[in-house]
Amino acid sequence: MRFSVFSHSFGYLAHAAGVTLALSLAGIALGFVIGMAVCVARLSGKPWPERLGAAYVSVFRGVPLLVLLLFIYYFLATVGLDVPALVAAIGGLSLSSGAYQAEILRGALNAVPRGQGEAAVALGYGAVDRWRRILLPQAVRISVPPLINEFILLIKASSLVSVVGIAELTRVSMNIASMTYRPLEAYLAGGFFYLVINLTLAGLGSLAERRLARGA
Amino acid sequence: MDWDVLIRYAPSLGRGFLVTIACWASGCALGLALGFAVALAAGARSLALRAVLRVYVEILRGTPFLMQLFILYAGGPAVGLRLSATEAGILGLGLYSSAYFSEIFRAGFAAVPRGQVEAAMSVGMAPWDILARVRLPNALVAATPPIVNTLIVMSKETVVLSIITVPELMYQMQTMAAETFTAFDAIFAMAVFYWCLVEVVSRLGRRVEQRATAFLASRA
Amino acid sequence: MQDIEGFRVSRRTALKWSLAGLAATGLAGGLRSAAADTLADIKKRGELVVATEMQFPPFDISDNGVYKGVDRELIDAVAKELGVKVSYLDLPWTSVLPGLEAKKFDLVIAPVTITKERMKRYAFSVPIADATASLMKRADDKTITKPEDLAGKTVGGQKGTAQVAQFKEFAAKLPKPVEVKEYVDNNQSYADLAAGRIDAAINSLPNLAYAASQRPEAFALVLPPFGQPTYFSWVARPDDQSLIEAVNAAIVKLDGDGTMAKIQTTWFGQPTALPTTVPEPKI
Repeated sequence: MRFSVFSHSFGYLAHAAGVTLALSLAGIALGFVIGMAVCVARLSGKPWPERLGAAYVSVFRGVPLLVLLLFIYYFLATVGLDVPALVAAIGGLSLSSGAYQAEILRGALNAVPRGQGEAAVALGYGAVDRWRRILLPQAVRISVPPLINEFILLIKASSLVSVVGIAELTRVSMNIASMTYRPLEAYLAGGFFYLVINLTLAGLGSLAERRLARGA
Repeated sequence: MDWDVLIRYAPSLGRGFLVTIACWASGCALGLALGFAVALAAGARSLALRAVLRVYVEILRGTPFLMQLFILYAGGPAVGLRLSATEAGILGLGLYSSAYFSEIFRAGFAAVPRGQVEAAMSVGMAPWDILARVRLPNALVAATPPIVNTLIVMSKETVVLSIITVPELMYQMQTMAAETFTAFDAIFAMAVFYWCLVEVVSRLGRRVEQRATAFLASRA
Repeated sequence: MQDIEGFRVSRRTALKWSLAGLAATGLAGGLRSAAADTLADIKKRGELVVATEMQFPPFDISDNGVYKGVDRELIDAVAKELGVKVSYLDLPWTSVLPGLEAKKFDLVIAPVTITKERMKRYAFSVPIADATASLMKRADDKTITKPEDLAGKTVGGQKGTAQVAQFKEFAAKLPKPVEVKEYVDNNQSYADLAAGRIDAAINSLPNLAYAASQRPEAFALVLPPFGQPTYFSWVARPDDQSLIEAVNAAIVKLDGDGTMAKIQTTWFGQPTALPTTVPEPKI
């Protein structure tokens, strides 16, 4: 074990951890918007939005993120659409995460007792209000733990954006492993940064969970 | 697309796909069993045991599979754990996924209506019976969609096994790409293989979900 | 019920998309020949964009984000000859060739060996370094002193490389069979060597000599190198003849004026003579 690997590369790793965090935050936020839209479409009761929503989940959950990123950044360029690296990275992360988040929200909406939606109709709520005031707030609360899980998965999946030339945490750990010929140290150091990010997220998640539970 | 190359490499890609499925299925089976055990044990009274399990889950969930697998495979021999690449791959996937599965089971148990458990206790059901006939069926219904999601995530994590020489799909793809210098072919082939796998898993998951829901409804 | 219905449609829709994607790739391949002159573009831009995988010391190293190594120094000198600046991209190998196809950069400066199969798809530069196959063992392993001692042992190297191919040829003549483990990446074979899973790692002599010099307590070279002389080249799109010719001319010039020897001495400890024409691939 050689600790000089950690001290020599601390700044390099910390910067890369920042890149990982920023890209994942953007991916999860845009992914949430996509997921919400897809979920509403899937549960809308109208055949076309339902089919489109189901197709979206099937494609973007089924195709590996690696392939999606390569497709957006490289393949589209061969047919004349040159997407910048950052846009490709965030686009790939949010398209993929949107599919998973749609499924999480759908599961949560199914878990909202049916009587509540019916009660809202009986009380004369319109469709928009029913969704905005009754169904979605409850669904979001139920889905906090799986959404945090998804966030943590996305932090780790974001390592794949190195294929568009962005130096994120995993890529940098591998660069260090290769330069120093000490892969174990490099991966332990990289893993430490991931752990710090994800423990923070998990902590914030349980805080949010408690807050929302109190509000109920 | 270079169809000649794809046809030439089809047998090795097919073999790789089978290895992927075998590693994924056995790794996830191990992960489900371990995760279930962890979720049950997390309900124990001992604070020390609960703390240890928390650390277990947070470390495995909080770090990338790539790094865990590498540390297990390359670092293992230093502490006397000498595994073959495939053994390390399956064990690694099992440990990694167990952290996710345990959280899903924990949430599933938490979602079982308290009244049902109390009712079962009041009619004098044994603890094992309550687990098998009340808590488990209810928990499984809640847990099926996230389990399917996690199974899908894990199927894609198997590509990491290629770095320790497990001859799975990614390994065969990279061999093809290195030998022929084809650029996009491997990527498209990979998309098709994984999409098929994910569709089959989602479809099975939905069946299990419907069965479980029907089972509960029939007893309600 | 609606779910099942939705599923069936989604599958059909997605299948259509995949087929459209496949068809489009074929189309893109066909249209590629109508490319403009990359060299003229580079001169107009005043910038040469290159990509490599910065995990191949001593050729490509990312030292805290600063690109270093043989390729860096050589491409800087080549760009100076062409009168342009250079920008470098660090990419995992999976995306290097797609990126070249997509014209995200002009040239791949990752050192690769020319093979017949690879030559069908890309253009290669004149040799930029010696790539003769060699072996590296654990420093404390007294049972290996020459390549022949590997009879009956396990050896590992990167898949699809000329070095592994040459070793297999060499091993076939040994009295006892050698097990060859193939990795997607050299760095993993070094890790397995350190962990004791393999008895020697195969790679080019410059790579291994550098690795052994960086971690002398762990690794040692097994000399002499074996097999036929092999060289590393850079990769360009097949239709970029003017670019590859300009790069070749610059490399030959740097060979003649002592720049190449200086770079080689910095990283390999001594100069090595290189052929000035693109060698005929043997495998």
